[in-house]
Amino acid sequence: MNNSLPRLIDGMVATLRKEVIPHIEGDFARGQAFGVIYMLNSLKLRASWSNEFLIEQLRALEDAARELDGLGAAIPAALVPGKCAPREAPAAAELEAMRDQGDERISALIEWLASNRESVSTVAAAHIEAAIDRYLHRQLKWELSTSAKPMFVEISGGVERSA
Amino acid sequence: MKRAEGERQGTRAASEGGSASTRTFEDPVVLRARLADYLSAQTGATVTVESLVKFPAGFSWITYGVRLAGFAQAQNVILRIGPPYGLFAPYSAMPEFESLSALQSSAVPIPRAFLASDDASLLGAPFFLCERVEGGTPLPWGAQEGASLEGARRDAIARDFIDALASLHEFDWRPTPLARWSDGMTSDNAALRQLEFWQGRFERWALRPHPMAHRAFAWLRRNPPKASRVAIVHGDYRLGNFLERNDRITAILDWELVHLGDPIEDLGWAFLPQYRGGTPLVCGLASEEEFLARYEAGTGTKVDRGALRFYIVFSLLKLALTHMAAARCFEDGLFNDMRMPAMATQIAPVFRQIAKILERV
Repeated sequence: MNNSLPRLIDGMVATLRKEVIPHIEGDFARGQAFGVIYMLNSLKLRASWSNEFLIEQLRALEDAARELDGLGAAIPAALVPGKCAPREAPAAAELEAMRDQGDERISALIEWLASNRESVSTVAAAHIEAAIDRYLHRQLKWELSTSAKPMFVEISGGVERSA
Repeated sequence: MKRAEGERQGTRAASEGGSASTRTFEDPVVLRARLADYLSAQTGATVTVESLVKFPAGFSWITYGVRLAGFAQAQNVILRIGPPYGLFAPYSAMPEFESLSALQSSAVPIPRAFLASDDASLLGAPFFLCERVEGGTPLPWGAQEGASLEGARRDAIARDFIDALASLHEFDWRPTPLARWSDGMTSDNAALRQLEFWQGRFERWALRPHPMAHRAFAWLRRNPPKASRVAIVHGDYRLGNFLERNDRITAILDWELVHLGDPIEDLGWAFLPQYRGGTPLVCGLASEEEFLARYEAGTGTKVDRGALRFYIVFSLLKLALTHMAAARCFEDGLFNDMRMPAMATQIAPVFRQIAKILERV
């Protein structure tokens, strides 16, 4: 891909909106197309080219650098690519699994507190609850700040809402 | 007609609606023929299906407008089919059918229920038939954003909307077949029963851990109100789920979540900001004070404001869980309706609304 992901999504959205949707018959079908636009806008705020895709490109560069490096003094050192493949860069699925494990523990903590209030001091329970609420607040704030503007009027009615 | 012992909301009949090869309802030609056969067998007359039109709305049940010939009870009927891939599948047609049947003698405007079956061998999925009532549906998320409900028209519809709810909650279900739904439900356990039901759905639908849902469940379990009485609860009483004609409500629709419980549960749902149509009014119809005053006059019961707050939090949680159901439906590849992932994006905003209420209590 030679374009940035955000620009590609903007282009797809504009094409759907200006070139495709006006020619679609039926409210439901147009609503579905607006649904596609909404999900593309949502993707734009969260997605990037995959780590796996970029790391493979970097590994190829690194291998080429090693090979070129081995050729010795024939090539000026400044022209040989540096070692640039971060072996440790996690895949998105790994990060997602880590987040889910953490959230599972927070969920279990909430349930534990609910069942063991009598055995925990009021002050301790309040501190635990406040810490949990701060965590929840931070996660929700992040989630909402990276969400696209809803398009439910367009999706349900199949008609572009006037600005 | 097979009337399966479709369990109440908590334990829907496990009719999966058959495999893809038996999904009669997906082929309009086959559906017409099978429906005509079924109706002829049920009535002993020759019934033919003159037309069958699928309605585009709805996330859950599939709705058809059907014109019949030879069906003595009505020429125009509504056929509702609960597909195995629907939002709340697996479905039973019995709750909606039985409640509409029981409420025929009530003051609640409803369509007449004719027939129902959970036998998937008939049309490929549970289904029921009822009268087609004339009227339009103002939608909370319509292009007009509540602008179509104004002035005297809005006031008249508001009166009908509140009065119908009061009539529903005042209806004595005990002498009707709905009595077998109660299963030990009391004023004391009504709220906790609902929490158990939705906790089960949460466990089934969630694609990943949601600590905020646990936080909300824990708060609700700690603060259950005692119901003033056990009543029929519509379960989805809001703008968008009634028909209106000439400024009067002609029918309350979409009874798929009907159950016995605390009547304030319906108020909690109707009070959600999501159904206000861009206005500060409950369901775009009446201010909170006007709504409560008329409802209290209609039922002769004071609404406990603490219970109302409980059920608003509960309703928001139900809404978040419904969005999780949409995410699950789409993720499982059951169908590709783009409204499903769009709905799923609303889990976090609804959680935020719950958090704001919990911050204040």
